[in-house]
Amino acid sequence: MKLEVNGVNREVRSEPLTPLLDVLREELDVTSPKAGCHAGGCGACTVMVDGKPRRSCLIPVAAVDGASITTVEGLGTPKDPSAVQQSFIHHYAAQCGFCTPGMVVAATAYIDGGGSDDKDEIAKAISGHVCRCTGYTKILDAIAAATKQTEFDITIIAPDPTTVTIGGSE
Amino acid sequence: MAKHRGKGISAIEYPTGMNQNGDPSQAWIKVKPDGRVDVFSGTADIGNGAKTIQSQIVAEAIGVPYDWVTFDNSNTDSSPVCTGTFASRATFVGGNAVLKAAKEVKLKLLEAAGKEMEISPEDLEINDGEVSVKGSPSEKMGVDEVAGAAAYGHGVLITGTGAQLKPYSEITNSATGEVDSPPHSAISYAACAVEVEVDDETGEVLVLEMTQCYDVGRAINPALVEGQIQGGAMMGLGLGVLENSYPYYPSVDHRGAQYNSYMIPSPLDMPKVKTIIIENPSADGPYGAKGIGEMANNSQPPAIASAVQDAVGIWVTEIPITPEAVLKALEAKNAGDDSVRRDGKLVSFDEELSVNTVASGLSWSA
Amino acid sequence: MKAVGARLPRYDGMGHVTGHTRFVDDVRVPGMLWAKALRSPHHHAAIVHMDTSKAAAMPGVHTIVTWEDVPLLEYGHLSGLGIPADEPLLARDVVRYKGQPIALVAADDEETASAAAAAIEIEYEERPALLDVRLAFDEDAPKIHHWGNWYPHFEEEMDVRQIRKGNIDQAFEDADKIISGVYRSSAIEQAPVETQVGLAVPEPDGRLTIYSCTQALYFSLGVVAAHLEVPLNKVKIVGGTVGGGFGGKVDTATDTVIALAAQKTGRPVKWRWTREEEFLASSTRGPWHMEIIDAVTNDGWILGRKMLTLHDSGAYARFSPYGLTKHSFHHTGAYTIPNLHFDGYVVFTNRVPSTAMRGFGVTSISFAGETHMTRVANELGMDPYEIRLKNANRVGDTSPNRIRYTDPSTVDVVKAIANAEGRDLEPALAGMTRATRSGEMLPPHLVDQLDTSEGSH
Repeated sequence: MKLEVNGVNREVRSEPLTPLLDVLREELDVTSPKAGCHAGGCGACTVMVDGKPRRSCLIPVAAVDGASITTVEGLGTPKDPSAVQQSFIHHYAAQCGFCTPGMVVAATAYIDGGGSDDKDEIAKAISGHVCRCTGYTKILDAIAAATKQTEFDITIIAPDPTTVTIGGSE
Repeated sequence: MAKHRGKGISAIEYPTGMNQNGDPSQAWIKVKPDGRVDVFSGTADIGNGAKTIQSQIVAEAIGVPYDWVTFDNSNTDSSPVCTGTFASRATFVGGNAVLKAAKEVKLKLLEAAGKEMEISPEDLEINDGEVSVKGSPSEKMGVDEVAGAAAYGHGVLITGTGAQLKPYSEITNSATGEVDSPPHSAISYAACAVEVEVDDETGEVLVLEMTQCYDVGRAINPALVEGQIQGGAMMGLGLGVLENSYPYYPSVDHRGAQYNSYMIPSPLDMPKVKTIIIENPSADGPYGAKGIGEMANNSQPPAIASAVQDAVGIWVTEIPITPEAVLKALEAKNAGDDSVRRDGKLVSFDEELSVNTVASGLSWSA
Repeated sequence: MKAVGARLPRYDGMGHVTGHTRFVDDVRVPGMLWAKALRSPHHHAAIVHMDTSKAAAMPGVHTIVTWEDVPLLEYGHLSGLGIPADEPLLARDVVRYKGQPIALVAADDEETASAAAAAIEIEYEERPALLDVRLAFDEDAPKIHHWGNWYPHFEEEMDVRQIRKGNIDQAFEDADKIISGVYRSSAIEQAPVETQVGLAVPEPDGRLTIYSCTQALYFSLGVVAAHLEVPLNKVKIVGGTVGGGFGGKVDTATDTVIALAAQKTGRPVKWRWTREEEFLASSTRGPWHMEIIDAVTNDGWILGRKMLTLHDSGAYARFSPYGLTKHSFHHTGAYTIPNLHFDGYVVFTNRVPSTAMRGFGVTSISFAGETHMTRVANELGMDPYEIRLKNANRVGDTSPNRIRYTDPSTVDVVKAIANAEGRDLEPALAGMTRATRSGEMLPPHLVDQLDTSEGSH
């Protein structure tokens, strides 16, 4: 079997029913898709299969033989991060970072598909992704901003309009 | 059949730090010959942002840019003791350790600069990577040059160490619970208001909005504070209306083994969250900071319970407040059973849950 | 530019968003074996017979670690606090919760390890399970622990955590109303998206490197070294980057057992828990049962509180005695209640051991105390803001354990919320500060709220 992973052609020797996630992580050493549940429940293993976001833990590799796979490493690099990746930094949308690869892939797919900055729509789009740290608030902010803008200042985090800070009372 | 809205509030407090063996955190710092700063701390980053916060404290305390700081918490060979990332202690306790180490580094940098500039170190200050003469900012030297001079000219290794320790608090009287010193490093405070909508047909409690106010002492990084408060709100929501490892507690049946059977908050469950950060500096925290990471999920469940009561007039006092529990309570209420016993000045709720009703081996009373 | 107070980006943010942050399961070393556990299928049972020989002989199996391989089988995580050891690293003759680890198989791959774990011959004799903390004290309750059904080692070997302050009987006599309620908070999964995982690598110099998802590197170092009976320089914990913890990764779940497997085989061993294991066999936030009786006046002062707390610790103590102590210290919440009578028990049940989780020991009393507060306000026909502001702790007041509050912010946070909610407070409340009590905010019962009970210092 063959896969094109982040633009590189790779031979696959795993058994045909091996989940794509395990092929990527264990055979091909592409470790950004995370194994949070191996049951399609957390979304941390989400990758793009021919441009569509898919849970790689639920797909037998034989079902995607010859497909083009994009993981979060393929969307941008530390030297050249994508708009969504920049927006996640600029809006403090990643805390522990374990759900982030799947979240960024889902967000990118949503925006590529013409998704709007409507927070309810975005919440629906990422509703199958579990983040236990952020409360999703800043993830929604980051995705909404990335629907409209392609560059973000990654040296500073954006102000949060839902926050008020007051000094000591005495 | 209708949907009813209600509001509820809560006010809470929570300690910073653990009471174990003095709850130590330690750190050490070395400076490279170009002034770049390597911090070694034992504080794990579990998403809370310990790497970021402690790096900011070091940058501020020495007077160098944030991106000059390298933070290494990667192993127990190079990093000194840290009790760990729990008990809301990473910013306060771990932060104090790196702050002390950074202050020592600054003194040594000033000393080396004093030699180079032939001026007393007391007359020097460091800002943004430059050592300058107080009151005469044009007389200056880069921290990079100072560090180079120390390494290659003076034969000095610029390092600093910091150790934070709080005396262990003993219970001096086990009958009364009296202690000989505070078992915490600080106490933080918070309040919360929530609005809910209760569907009296389905029993579902929808949390519409949460307003939360936290006194954080000092927000070392306001964005990270918001992250804790917003994430805590989600967990508080889970505690209040969704999550239960044993849905029919005390039975052990029907445990959720996956994210589709254990009820965890999703993006669609999140209400509007508003945050108020108060900064009343703590006396002993780094730059006045205190810990709020944990308490961020403590304020919402009671506010939700009170809001449900405000909405439909029932008290559900077992969390999570599930649709099943709401419907059961509504049914009882409609049957005229408000589960309150009034006897003289005694007002007794929830007697069906009490050990007095359920158990034979333990009883208690007013 | 000032660093403190600035919205600087996360130190590790770029790694997170580009997928390059390396978590434990992302670490690769050559020659690695995979581990799987045999876990108890019963809530409570005696192990009457176990034979690992057939499983160990299966092709691809390298070793099976059991209790016999552990130099120090029982180590108390908080022995430094006087909490003795009670939990074996691997079960020996009794299992006290479903999912308790009994043996660990290290094999060429996870499938082989699972098959071998299932092939271990083991015979149990089931025992009745205790699940309801309220029934633990009943004469006919199943006995589940050598300590009995509740923890007996608080200071001076007391089996109850007590707070006594002021004169509780007087408070109840003086009260206009006595209001009682029962509150229960559930067990919760910490549920980090990264499950428990560890990788132990034997080094040529005889040391062990353990890639760990621990929240506390030195804590884990101490735990592993103690079980292995080696000095601290024989183990190196590598970590510090954790895919969520929330308290669940304070317990040392994987590191010690894989260290033993790596020692036995001379090979690196990785053990990663499945989501099912994480949810069903890893420790939870403990359930709490709390009964509160408040003595109150018609104008909203809380004169005294009696409270009974039963903390469901699950099968072993772990951090629960510490959590209950913390709970007792904070059982008045953000308020000053001068007369107190608190009894709390750490009760064992046949469920997974409870452990730390965000808000440890206090989440429960925040729920119980604050729900009760609103109930009391309703019963008195009083505004929920007013009752909170009146009883709010103030500078100079003392806590249940007699610590003087030096900078309480209760008044500030309640007023801030009232303001955000558009609530106009009466002038007497709007003008309140945290300052020491005086005037109408200093009712007789708070004039001297230093401890006056007999038997205290």
